[in-house]
Amino acid sequence: MARDETNIEEEIFPRDPAKSYALVGLMDRSTPQAGHGPEETLFSFPVVLLWELVLLLGVTFLIFLFSLIKQAPLEEIANPMVTTDPAKAPWYFVGLQELLEHMHPTLAGVIIPGVLIAFLVFLPYLSPGRRGVGHWFGSARGGRIFAATTVYTLLAMPGAILLDNAFSLREVLRGVVPQWVSQGLVPGLILVLLVILPLLVLLRLRAGGDELILALFTIMLVSATVFTLSGFFFRGPGFKLYLPWQMPGGYNPLDGL
Amino acid sequence: MMAQPAGDSAAPGPGRPELFRSWIVNSRPWQSIVRHGWPDNPLDRSLVITSSLFLHLHPVKVSRRSLRWSYSLGLGIMAVILFAVLVFTGVLLMFYYIPSVERAYSTMKDIQFAVPLGQFSRNMHRWSAHAMVLVVVLHMARVFYTGAYKSPREFNWVTGVGLLLLTLGASFTGYLLPWDQLAFWAITVGTNIAGYAPVIGSATRGFLLGANDVGQASLIRFYTLHVALIPLALTLLISFHLWRVRKDGGLAISDPDVVAGGDDGT
Repeated sequence: MARDETNIEEEIFPRDPAKSYALVGLMDRSTPQAGHGPEETLFSFPVVLLWELVLLLGVTFLIFLFSLIKQAPLEEIANPMVTTDPAKAPWYFVGLQELLEHMHPTLAGVIIPGVLIAFLVFLPYLSPGRRGVGHWFGSARGGRIFAATTVYTLLAMPGAILLDNAFSLREVLRGVVPQWVSQGLVPGLILVLLVILPLLVLLRLRAGGDELILALFTIMLVSATVFTLSGFFFRGPGFKLYLPWQMPGGYNPLDGL
Repeated sequence: MMAQPAGDSAAPGPGRPELFRSWIVNSRPWQSIVRHGWPDNPLDRSLVITSSLFLHLHPVKVSRRSLRWSYSLGLGIMAVILFAVLVFTGVLLMFYYIPSVERAYSTMKDIQFAVPLGQFSRNMHRWSAHAMVLVVVLHMARVFYTGAYKSPREFNWVTGVGLLLLTLGASFTGYLLPWDQLAFWAITVGTNIAGYAPVIGSATRGFLLGANDVGQASLIRFYTLHVALIPLALTLLISFHLWRVRKDGGLAISDPDVVAGGDDGT
């Protein structure tokens, strides 16, 4: 019995004392090193480790220097009876707070963040293929789309904020239509329109799926930046719009970091 | 193990530094700790990486292209470095901080005025936290704009979105801990936003705060999330994220088809 097994094994894997390698399995994909000639690679040691050491020292040194110059804020002890003015969320959520000024809380605080997170999660599965991988903006045309969408968003979103601040939809439509229309449907539609407009232009220019995703992501990122900057630097007491250097009551937005 | 000094065999005998090095490298403590020779040859340079728990996430060899600063900007590594700085300074602060409504603010004052380097440690912690949020967002933008989220890296992108949310959660939960006016009202405003969800809004807010308003229940919840749950989740997910970078073939700029497509990847 035992002898039979060894025979079969010998038959399948004939022993050859000169052979020091074996084919273990076949994979239906490329390995990380496929396509790399030896001249295209370096030993990680020490190059990569030095690279990381430079980053480690650089990053910690910058934080170190900044910590020497600027003290972390500590205000008066928390007092639920005394509301600060303005009361702001941490800077990375202040964009949502800015959004709340312009539309219904459910839309600004729940639906829009939910849609953005869903977009981020499903984004790679919407991408049609591997075109443009490993290149900034995929192609020269991708770079132009990025630049154009950035400029567009930098004009459209601050414009929308200022316009709504001057002629508040909330106030204009108060009592004329139900609240969910004036604060939900109308601002929601305006926002959708602002996002779709550049996509329609791109579709006219026969943009591919990747280029539409590129534009969408850029609109999202630049809008988030605009709303965050607006909420952080341009909102003062009463969460009203001011120029950062003309804040009343000695309020300094940077104190809230 | 190849523990011979660097010089070729043609060199006229080893000098004093080489002798000293070979004495170190051949010593029993060295051999018992690192299990490889002086890394001046391909075998030992490979072993430095593969035989080390901390370094073995790196490949033994990397493509030259993936080292271009202009491609990756080093943002992912910066995020990991900032996380490490935050863990280190955070543990220092934990030695003094007490998460109770009565004591939190006074321990903050102690940290700022009585503890040696307390203010400085807190500064490092706070600025690193802000920097980490910023760097993680920039890293996401870099990965997106270089198409590095595309096949086969789709799932690692999703993992990255999870890491972004965890980073925001880590920063947000830490924001309450100083228990000053800034912290209290920022968290009140922030959790109010969560409360705007229809049907589940007030339940979500209550789950976060442990009560109807920001108080002791919220402080201990935020503290536990901030020092235990979120850092643990971040550590696990970062490990997975980095492992997956290797499994998906390293940086996208070194993918075979990208390399074959020409050298215009800068």
